[in-house]
Amino acid sequence: MPAPPYKMWEILERARTGPFCEDEAFTLERFLPKMQEVISKYGIKYDPATPITRDDNLADALWQAGVEFFLAVGVLSVDTHRIMTFDEAELREALYLIPGEYLVGLGKDARVLEHRQVEDGKPPFVIFSPDISCDEEIFLPMCVAYLREPLADGFCAPILEESMGLKIKAKSPTELAGSMEHAMSLREAAKLVGRPGVFLVAAGTAESDVGQISISNSQWGVRTSDSRLVGGLTELKIDNALLNRVAHYQQFGCFTGSLTGPIYGGYAGRAEGTAVLQVAYHLMGLMVHQAHYQMNFPFHIHHTSGTSRELLWVSSASHQAVARNSKIISVSNGFLNAGPATEMVLYEAAAHALASTVSGANLWEAAPARNKHKNRATPMEARMAAEVGHACSFMNLSREEANALLLKILARYEDRITDAPLGSEFQECYDVRTSLPSPQYSDLYMRVKEELAALGLEFPY
Amino acid sequence: MGTLESLVEAVTIGEDEEAEALARQAMAEGMDPLEVVDGLTHAIREVGDRFERMEVFLPEMMLAAKAMQRAVEPVAPYLEERKIERERKGTVVIGTVEGDIHEIGKSIVALLLEVNGYKVHDLGPDVNALDFIKKAQEVEADVIGASALMTTTMPGQQEIVELLGEMGLREQFHVIVGGTPVTAAWAEEIGADSWAENAMHAVSVLDKAMEER
Repeated sequence: MPAPPYKMWEILERARTGPFCEDEAFTLERFLPKMQEVISKYGIKYDPATPITRDDNLADALWQAGVEFFLAVGVLSVDTHRIMTFDEAELREALYLIPGEYLVGLGKDARVLEHRQVEDGKPPFVIFSPDISCDEEIFLPMCVAYLREPLADGFCAPILEESMGLKIKAKSPTELAGSMEHAMSLREAAKLVGRPGVFLVAAGTAESDVGQISISNSQWGVRTSDSRLVGGLTELKIDNALLNRVAHYQQFGCFTGSLTGPIYGGYAGRAEGTAVLQVAYHLMGLMVHQAHYQMNFPFHIHHTSGTSRELLWVSSASHQAVARNSKIISVSNGFLNAGPATEMVLYEAAAHALASTVSGANLWEAAPARNKHKNRATPMEARMAAEVGHACSFMNLSREEANALLLKILARYEDRITDAPLGSEFQECYDVRTSLPSPQYSDLYMRVKEELAALGLEFPY
Repeated sequence: MGTLESLVEAVTIGEDEEAEALARQAMAEGMDPLEVVDGLTHAIREVGDRFERMEVFLPEMMLAAKAMQRAVEPVAPYLEERKIERERKGTVVIGTVEGDIHEIGKSIVALLLEVNGYKVHDLGPDVNALDFIKKAQEVEADVIGASALMTTTMPGQQEIVELLGEMGLREQFHVIVGGTPVTAAWAEEIGADSWAENAMHAVSVLDKAMEER
C-alpha cells in the first residue's frame, strides 16, 4: 500500500477554492450545531463508571459520528476564509490506502511504528518526550537521559528558550538559531548514547514554518527517517503556515505526525463532543495534514491536563473508535497534572498509559506539571507510562480488567487534580553530569511500581 | 413568568431570536430600558460564573453572549433616547502576540470581559507589538491584553511593554499578560502591570485595576 501523500495538491488547493466562510460563522453556525446533532443522532454518552469503555457499539457509533461531523463541517483556512471540504468516497479511498505500519529510524535503531488493535497483545510504540521547555545548559544532558531509556522507541526533545544565550523569539532569526541548535544537539545526544539512527521527532523549538524548513538536513538536522509534526488551530481550522509544513514534509520525505488536542470544555463542549472531535481530528490528520500517524492530546480547558476521569474516557473511547474502524496509527500523549518526583505524577502516567494502550493507541509520554513549567519533566514519568503500556500488552489485559485497575489508580490521585503538587525540576531529581535519576526518585519510582503490581499489574520484568 | 424573566431565561439558554423578540416586547410594554439591561447584564455574568465552575461549557456561553447581543439591539435606541449610556468598566485591546497562532484562551478572556462590562477589541492571533499599541491609541483603550501560548512567543509580550516605554506611552495603558506558560514572575520581569491565570482571574484583576485607575 502506498504511504501519504494522498491527492496532496488537490486538497491543499481547496484552501483557495473552497466555499467562503467567516471564522465566527464557521464555529457558531457550522461546528456547534453539527456537533450537537451527531452526539444526539448516534447516542454518544459518557459514563463515569467506565473511563475505559468496553462498549464496541459506542466505539463504532463514535467513529460514525466523527466521520459525519468531519465531512459536514470540513476544515477552515483562516488565511483565505475558505472551507476545505471532502466527500465520503475520497475519505474512504484514503482510509483504504493507509499501510498501517512504517519502518522509522535508521539502521540498527530502526523500529516498526504500526496500527494497534483494541486489547492488542503487541506492545505500544513509545515515544519519550518531556514536552516542555528547558534551560539551554541542560538540553544535552536531558536528551541523553531520555535517549538512554531502554523502552524509548523514539524521542522528541524539550524546547529551547535561549540559543547562545539569546532569548529565542518566534518568527525572528533567533528562532532559526535555536531550531538549528536543537536539531544538532539532539543528533549529538543520540550518537553519544549509541543510538545514532533512533527515530526522532523534531524540532519543537521551531514554532514557525520557516524554522521547520530550515532544519531539514540529512547531514546535521532532521533526516527523512525522522518525523515532524503539523498542528491545527482551535478547532478544525488551519492556516497557510501550517499548510506550508504539510507540503514541505512530504517533499523533503520525512514522516509527518498530525498533532491535535481537542479541548474539553471548549468549543467541543463535554466529554462526548471532545471524543467526537478527536475522531474527526484523525480524519483531518489523514486528509489535510497528510499524516503518517496521529498524535492526540485531548485536555481540560482549566487544568490543561488529560488524566481526569472524563479525559481518560475521551482517550479510551476515541482510540477504540479509530482502532476498530481504520488502520490509522494513533499515538496518545499524556498531559499530567503533577510534576516530577511525586507519587501523583507516576499514578497519572500509569493511568494514561493503561487507558490508551488497551484501547489501541501507541504512547507519547509525557508532559508533567500541566505542560506549563520549564525544566519540570524527567524520563521517569515516561518510563512509568512505557512500563505500564508493556505490562498491559504482556498480560493481554481486557478492557474490563483495565477499567477495574484504572478505577483503583484514579482513587489515588483524582481528588488532588486541582491542587496537584508541582514536584521538582529535572536538575533537582537528576544528576546533570551523569544524566541519571537521584536515589530518592529511583526509590519513589520502585515503591509506586510495586504498589501497581500489588493492584494486579503484571510487569514483564 | 413576566417578560423580563422570560428574556433573562432566553439569554441564559442562548435562544437569540427569542431573546430579541422578548426585548422588543419589553420595550413595547414600556419597561424601563435600564432595568432590562441590568437584568441582562446580571444574567450573562451568571453564565460566565457557571462556565468557570464548568456547570456550562463554552458553546453555551457563546450562544448566551450572542443572545445578549441580539437582546440589547432593540433596547439601545431607548437608552439613547433617554441619554443613558451603558456602563462600561473600560476599553480593552486584546490579542495573541506575534508568531503565536493559539487563540481560544484569549477569545474566552475577551468574551468574559465583554459580558462583564468591558468594551473589547479582539485583534486575533499573531499580532505585531506595534499593532497592539496603534489600536489601543485609536480606540483610546485603558488596557492592552497580550496572550502567549508558547515559551518562544512570550518575548512578544515584553516587546509591547518595551515599545510603550520607548514611545512615551507606558503610563497610558494597563498591560495585562497571560497564557499557559506565562507566570506572575514573567509579568514582573518584563514590567507588565498584571498577570492573570485564567479568564475569570483576568476579569477580577482588571476590575480592581480600573477601580484604582
